[in-house]
Amino acid sequence: MKSPLFGLLLAGGRSTRMGRDKASLVIGADGLNQGQRAVQGLLPVCQKVFLSLRDAQTAPEGCEHLEIVRDNPSISGPLAGILAAFEREPDAAWLVMACDLPFVTPEVLAQLVHARSDGTDFIAYASATDGLPEPLCAIYEPSARAVLKRHAERNHLCPRHIMVEERATLLELPPSCRRALENMNTPEDIAVATGEKQIHIGWFGALAEERGCREETVVSSAPSAGAFLEELASHLKLSGLRGHVRIAVNDEFAQPDHPLRTGDKVVFLRPFSGG
Amino acid sequence: MSFLINSHPIEYESLRESLTSPDCGGFVFFEGRVRNHHEGRKVVGLHYEAYLELAEKEGRRLVEEISRKFGVRAAAIHAVGDLMPGDLAVWVGAAAAHREEAFAACRELIDAIKLRVPIWKRETYTDGHGEWIEGCRCASPH
Repeated sequence: MKSPLFGLLLAGGRSTRMGRDKASLVIGADGLNQGQRAVQGLLPVCQKVFLSLRDAQTAPEGCEHLEIVRDNPSISGPLAGILAAFEREPDAAWLVMACDLPFVTPEVLAQLVHARSDGTDFIAYASATDGLPEPLCAIYEPSARAVLKRHAERNHLCPRHIMVEERATLLELPPSCRRALENMNTPEDIAVATGEKQIHIGWFGALAEERGCREETVVSSAPSAGAFLEELASHLKLSGLRGHVRIAVNDEFAQPDHPLRTGDKVVFLRPFSGG
Repeated sequence: MSFLINSHPIEYESLRESLTSPDCGGFVFFEGRVRNHHEGRKVVGLHYEAYLELAEKEGRRLVEEISRKFGVRAAAIHAVGDLMPGDLAVWVGAAAAHREEAFAACRELIDAIKLRVPIWKRETYTDGHGEWIEGCRCASPH
């Protein structure tokens, strides 16, 4: 008799490389952020989905309705969240999923769940690149709790090493989803994976004052400089982007149909007032 | 012949020297200075900001264009940063064989700088409030 399976969305990471909360990051045309996308994947295969957060961290947008499991503050890394989940529901098995895996498909999760059997502690996919277990899209059976605690006491906190040592059941990714577990740690990752472009914006004059900063980098799929301007005007709600605005791309004046490439620098120019 | 953007106060002496030449009988320069009033309000300070990479590029293009068009030697320098009424904001010079081209080139260069070089100014008024000023977008100088 299998124990109930609960989902645990790990959103407690500090996202230092991304520079912002990864769970709140919207990727793709459907407007879902990474947290919402992961919950959408977990719900059909889990009885209930919990949100794993650091102490005092607030739920990312769209995930406010989930029950929260706070990290065990004496441990660092994902193990803190997983052990806290076992404290909450010791008799449940946990499908643990990081919030930065936008390419996980229903098929990938279904295959994990299908592989559950008596006598296994961990079920994970073998990485498509190095064959090592992928611990952040994996099932932790109730029996895994004691194993994890034992490792944590010896300060072994890396779930991948633990899975290797404990001979986790390893599955192969379906051929159509070989990239399913590629994660998104930096804005560059997103740009590469989604074909979206990373655009550096420089703000000057009235626009810098209204925006409150002088430069920033955004991800966009706008094909041209003009489309990018329209996208920002509606997204950022800057009055300075309405009306007469010219565009510069890579420090040269550009027409609205100027194509944008990843890494381009774009500056929007209000009418000049030198002299 | 060059176009420079420097923080206030700007030094134009060397530019001026670079324009003078024995074959130029006419030398005209224009100094744009900070006015202490704007549309009826008393101005106590100005802040100039430039998109440096593009402003220098476009400024150099203007100087070359106008030098070629009028057959003159021309140069300009614009200040950025915080200025007070009376301070020098922009200096434009043109030297030619005869005064006619020198006057025309100097006039056209300052008009073109105001219209085409990405520099913006923010005025501060007596009550402490400030406002970014936007130039006229029409092609005619004024």
